Formats: sequence, structure tokens, C-alpha cells
Amino acid sequence: MSKIFPFSVKKHIIAIFLGVVATVQLPAFADENYIGIVKTYQPLATVLHSGTESTVDVGVKLYPGDTLVTQSDAAVGIIFMDGSVLSLGSETRFEIVDFLFKPAERNVSFISKVSKGTVAFTSGAIGRISPESVKFITPTSTLGLHGTKVLIEVK
Amino acid sequence: MKNSTVLFAIFGLMLAGCSGTTVVLVPDATGKVGKVSVKTKAGEQLLSQSGASTFAGTVDKAPSQVQVLDSTKIQDMFGTALANEPAPPLHYSIYFKSGSAELLPDSKPLLMTMFKAIQERKSCDISVIGHSDRVGDNGTNKGISLKRAESVANVLKTIGLSGDCLDVRYYGENDPVVPTADNVAEPRNRRVEIEVR
Repeated sequence: MSKIFPFSVKKHIIAIFLGVVATVQLPAFADENYIGIVKTYQPLATVLHSGTESTVDVGVKLYPGDTLVTQSDAAVGIIFMDGSVLSLGSETRFEIVDFLFKPAERNVSFISKVSKGTVAFTSGAIGRISPESVKFITPTSTLGLHGTKVLIEVK
Repeated sequence: MKNSTVLFAIFGLMLAGCSGTTVVLVPDATGKVGKVSVKTKAGEQLLSQSGASTFAGTVDKAPSQVQVLDSTKIQDMFGTALANEPAPPLHYSIYFKSGSAELLPDSKPLLMTMFKAIQERKSCDISVIGHSDRVGDNGTNKGISLKRAESVANVLKTIGLSGDCLDVRYYGENDPVVPTADNVAEPRNRRVEIEVR
């Protein structure tokens, strides 16, 4: 680009782009900080969000720090903003410890905790951009997922 | 030291089924098998083969030797979770000329195909992500990638998709399909990726 445009023009273009970025980004991210949406659900499961417990359903949005708990015969399937796919089996406790997805700044992280139960996980863009950023913590171990699909059982 | 490692491994296998963490590496929906490392305070095990598993019984013992599980055993352990997995997201790419955010005439059929797929899936959870190649500086490329994403989002809205279902993002040059050196023109990286979740 620097070879095509003289310096002053280039500066001008950047200024325009920055303007566009500022006006578009604010409304898009102000009230929509969710990181995943529930896609499949077998009752009964609850989500603990900022100290409040509510029943899960298809379409429920999830946020960093949320904990999902499934009862017997229950299951929850989620697709996250980075395209990763998570499925929880029955009697599972799963916490989203950290979910950061700012690929343009190379600022990505997906850390979760499995305290009990079963989990199927397929990594998405976070794992593709930064394989060392996808981690699971269990009571006995830490998993580093370098792509793509893993199953975890914690007893 | 070697003896104790073997002992830990045997102990780990004996414990399988008891309290602890079992990790199994399996192929994803496209058949790809990745890698996963399982670490305790006492050691680490790397899984890199389809069906490979290890067991971490306690935090102060190394994870067990790798054991390959067959599909029956995997279904036994993970049947419920696997049966309730959401369908993997659908992905589409639309390409652009260098430095341009203008949609090319030949991307129209793909946009229509995509729109139909979105309707069939009844999805209201779609990202439209703009990318650039590495010609020019990253700041400028972020701007171009945003404009590309907006071009695609605008067309989808014109066809009839609600703007509430679209998450428009831009990664600049930071997420190439084909990694290149700086200032290299790469048509495959000048794209908008649409993910239908």
C-alpha cells in the first residue's frame, strides 16, 4: 500500500478507516458480550451467571465466568463465538474460566474447568490462531489442546 | 526413576474407572486428528493418535501410558455428550480484489447458496469476518477487512437476513489461510469468512 499511495494520502485513508472502526464497533459490542449460544438441550441443566442460577434452554447466551451444571440424563450443546463446539453429558460441572476472542489483536484465550462429568470439545478459531491458548483444567490435570477434538471424563 | 514411571503407569491403568481424569483424542467432523497434552505435577503425556487416551488419577502422579480405546468403549463413556453435539458450524469464503471491498459478480451464487443454508438451519447466529492479505500496513488492512465484512453483511441484509443475527468482525491480516511474509499479495487471504452456527 505504501508503494501505491503517497504518504499524505495513506494517512488520510487510515484516518477514514479509524473513523469507520470507531462508529461501527461501539454499537456492535456494547450490549452483546456473549461468547456462546446453547444449541442443543436435554433437561435438566442450569447455568450459574454472576451468582444467579437459571435453567438452560436452547438459545440461552453464555458469558465468561458462567458455570453449567447438568443433572442425570441431561446434556447441553454449545457453539462458541470462535466456532468451537462443546457438548456436556449428564452429571457434569463445566466452568468457562476465561474466553477472550480478539483475533485482530492476536488476543485469544479459552480456558475452562471440568470438575466432574463428560465433555466433548472441538476447537475453533482460537485453537487455530493460537493452539497454546486452549486449555482445560480438571481436578488432577491440565490439558493443552493443539487441535481439534477431545473427550474428557472426570470422575 | 524408570521403574517408578512404569509403576505409575500401571497404577494409572488400574485406576481407570475410578476417580480421576480420562482424556481421549478423537477425529473431528472432517476426520482430522489433532494433539492434546495432559499434564499433572508429576509428568506429562501427549496424545496424537486417533482414540489415544490417558488417565490422570491424582495430581502427584504422571498421567498413565497411552491406551487406544475402541469406538464401543468411547460410546460407553461419552455416548450422551456425543449424541447431543451441535452440528458443526458451516463455513463459506468470499474473495476480493487487492485493496478492494467490492463484491465480485461471481460471488452472487455463493451468497444465495449461503442464504438458503442459513434458512434451512434456522440460524440466527452468524459471523461475518473480514480478512486481508499482508500488502500494506496492518492498520490499513484492518480497515479493508472491516469494509469487506460490511459489504457481505449488507448484501445478506438486502436479501432478507435480520441484522440482529449477524456478528460483523474484522481480523485484518492476522488470520491468513495461507501464511506469507509481509507485503506479499495473496488472493486466498483477501476474503470474508461466513460462519453459520
